[in-house]
Amino acid sequence: MTKLNAYGAVFCVSLLACCLALAQQGQPGAQPNQQGRGAPPADQGRGGGGRGGRGPGSHNQMSFFVTSVGMGKGGDLGGPAGADAHCQKLATVVGAGNKTWRAYLSTQARPGQAAVNARDRIGTGPWYNFGFAQLGQPQNAVISQNLGELHGDTLVQAQRGSNLFKQSARTEYGQVIRGVGDLPPVQHDILTGSQTDGRAFTDNADHTCNNWTSSGAGSAQVGHSDRIGNMNASWNSSHATTGCSQEALVSTGGAGLFYCFAVN
Amino acid sequence: MTKTRSLVTALAVVFLLGSCLVLAQQNPAPHPNMNFFVTSGPIGDGGNLGGLAGADAHCRTLAAAVGAGNRTWHAYLSTQDRPGQPAINARDRIGSGPWYSQKGEMIARDLAHLHGDTHELARLGNNLNKLTGLTEKGETVPGLYDYADPRDNDWEYVKTTPYSNRHEMLTGTQPDGRAFTGTDLDYTCDNWTSNKDPDPATQGPRGGGLGAAPGRPNAQIGFPDRNGGGNGSWNSSHGTRGCSQAALPRTHGVGMFYCFAIN
Repeated sequence: MTKLNAYGAVFCVSLLACCLALAQQGQPGAQPNQQGRGAPPADQGRGGGGRGGRGPGSHNQMSFFVTSVGMGKGGDLGGPAGADAHCQKLATVVGAGNKTWRAYLSTQARPGQAAVNARDRIGTGPWYNFGFAQLGQPQNAVISQNLGELHGDTLVQAQRGSNLFKQSARTEYGQVIRGVGDLPPVQHDILTGSQTDGRAFTDNADHTCNNWTSSGAGSAQVGHSDRIGNMNASWNSSHATTGCSQEALVSTGGAGLFYCFAVN
Repeated sequence: MTKTRSLVTALAVVFLLGSCLVLAQQNPAPHPNMNFFVTSGPIGDGGNLGGLAGADAHCRTLAAAVGAGNRTWHAYLSTQDRPGQPAINARDRIGSGPWYSQKGEMIARDLAHLHGDTHELARLGNNLNKLTGLTEKGETVPGLYDYADPRDNDWEYVKTTPYSNRHEMLTGTQPDGRAFTGTDLDYTCDNWTSNKDPDPATQGPRGGGLGAAPGRPNAQIGFPDRNGGGNGSWNSSHGTRGCSQAALPRTHGVGMFYCFAIN
């Protein structure tokens, strides 16, 4: 009987071991090639060593970034002017305030007010992110050469896509935005209010949180900085938000972040 | 009686432990819907895949090894028109979808979604990305930034480091999924039969650069993680530096390709 108990104990232990071994299997992070996933953004970009880092002049090349923080009031950005000022402020903090920064946001036509297309606000490119000097990979610092490539103006350009992807869509600090598969909170919903071609919506529905003045009712069109989600890979027009409050933005994987481009 | 029971218990324990060990060594089984995967490894002779038939067989072998051999697998590869031989479009070889990854996630609803046949579909893109472009074993394909190392251009290093960048998939295809036609230039490593490199005597010591050009063996590639080449194309980003096994890693590929089941 004692012997049986001993066997039982061995049996239990081995079962437990099996479970542990199996439990380790299904985890996506089990491979050693996941540096880009799951790690907090602060691990990437910042303090990228001797080639650039955060020293003086290291942001000279930067003409594109994703805001490291939103404005905190959901879809109310104080209109496009308020959003532009946010871009300018964040750029100034990292020493890139000498450029003229514009938020990539469309506004819709309203009585006595013409629509404005996001693509018409951002200059002509090329646009560079802040990964340029840090990673020593110049080919990945170019977000896009021009408006046509950025928006896929020809069919082949659209099929290929631009060089805006998870690892190149960085904040003004060079951080990568948390996307699908990363530790929460995912913040990849980027406010644009735009159609895939970079232009404003022309219907009567709200796609811009009332031209970026509403933090309650309404909805905004968003793109994905990691180009993953909603069965498409759109950086600027993947889906609509469920509302315009900060909570609504957060609920679908956003934080009220937006793209900033320098026009000069 | 006690002795027999003890023996039975002991045997059961040993058997259970053994099967657990065996299971623990395996990757999770593919989702039953899996009809798309990235080959977990190359054939190993550069752009010489033994033609389309050889590549299809590779897909079949890998699928069968993970218990998905009941489907009809085709490699996503085009071949070019040559004398007495019409071109074959990769998109015409893969059925009509929808296609699902090793974990059962849909990567595209149909051919139009996969390739962006309309301008709007093209701008939106499909759902093939770093998280869905999985091998038949469920592995993500190592890409840029995953394990950056200067040696990841060197086949001798790359072949012993399965986690180093290898995100270039052979396709031989234009962005719309069709073959390059009406040209003598090579986009398919001579229709997947060549492991040759550019001749240094005529092309210079570095082989004359990247992509198709007269006298340059080459294959068009795309990225399952959509990162690189100045664009995010999954099927037609740029060319290679040659067709030998050693040439492919110079631009971060090893000769892997996409497999689709047509049923």
